[in-house]
Amino acid sequence: MSSFGFGLLCLISFTLPVPILAWLDRVRSKR
Amino acid sequence: MYAGHYAAGLAIKASQPKAPTWALLLGVGLLDVLFGIFVMLGVEHVTVTPGVSPGFSLDFIDWSHSLAMSLVWAVLFASFFWRSGRAVALAVGFAVFSHFLLDWPMHPADLAVWPHSSVHIGMGLWKTLPVGWWWVELAFILAGCTYYAARSRRLGTFGGRAYWACAVVVVLHVVNSPWLAVAK
Repeated sequence: MSSFGFGLLCLISFTLPVPILAWLDRVRSKR
Repeated sequence: MYAGHYAAGLAIKASQPKAPTWALLLGVGLLDVLFGIFVMLGVEHVTVTPGVSPGFSLDFIDWSHSLAMSLVWAVLFASFFWRSGRAVALAVGFAVFSHFLLDWPMHPADLAVWPHSSVHIGMGLWKTLPVGWWWVELAFILAGCTYYAARSRRLGTFGGRAYWACAVVVVLHVVNSPWLAVAK
């Protein structure tokens, strides 16, 4: 793997889980 | 450290529920987001070392990961949240700086005190425990996730699917294990 690829992998690895975990943390409002 | 940073983010969320979850989670990984960008731009340097734990050598990461720059990034990122209140801004800033604190035990001495400093720190668990570091990080993840899940049940204002969030963090850690990691 090239260093450019490693940097890209690192960038994706540390951004992709953010919306997933934030979504799982949401509390649905009670009606 | 990878998934452990997210466990730290969830634990910080549990201690300061008013802080935006996305900001804490982006914050705990911000130094590595910057590292990725800097490596792609050629500002920082890494060498992939197949078969040698942890699978890469961080040759120059002073702008993203040095002690001084970690504090700068923490203050800068926290400043965007100053209007949300001092406690929230402090939580977000601590999330960013927690990255340095958690990398310290794992990294070999590749964490500069400031950019281009000759002094580098790091306790080097990646090197001294080529497999054991994974279990150390797992213990940290379980502790952070337990705190997050317990607080979310008690307060009910966050962690709608707390156990799923914890499961995702554990899965990320498994993917980053010495046995499965892409860059091993």
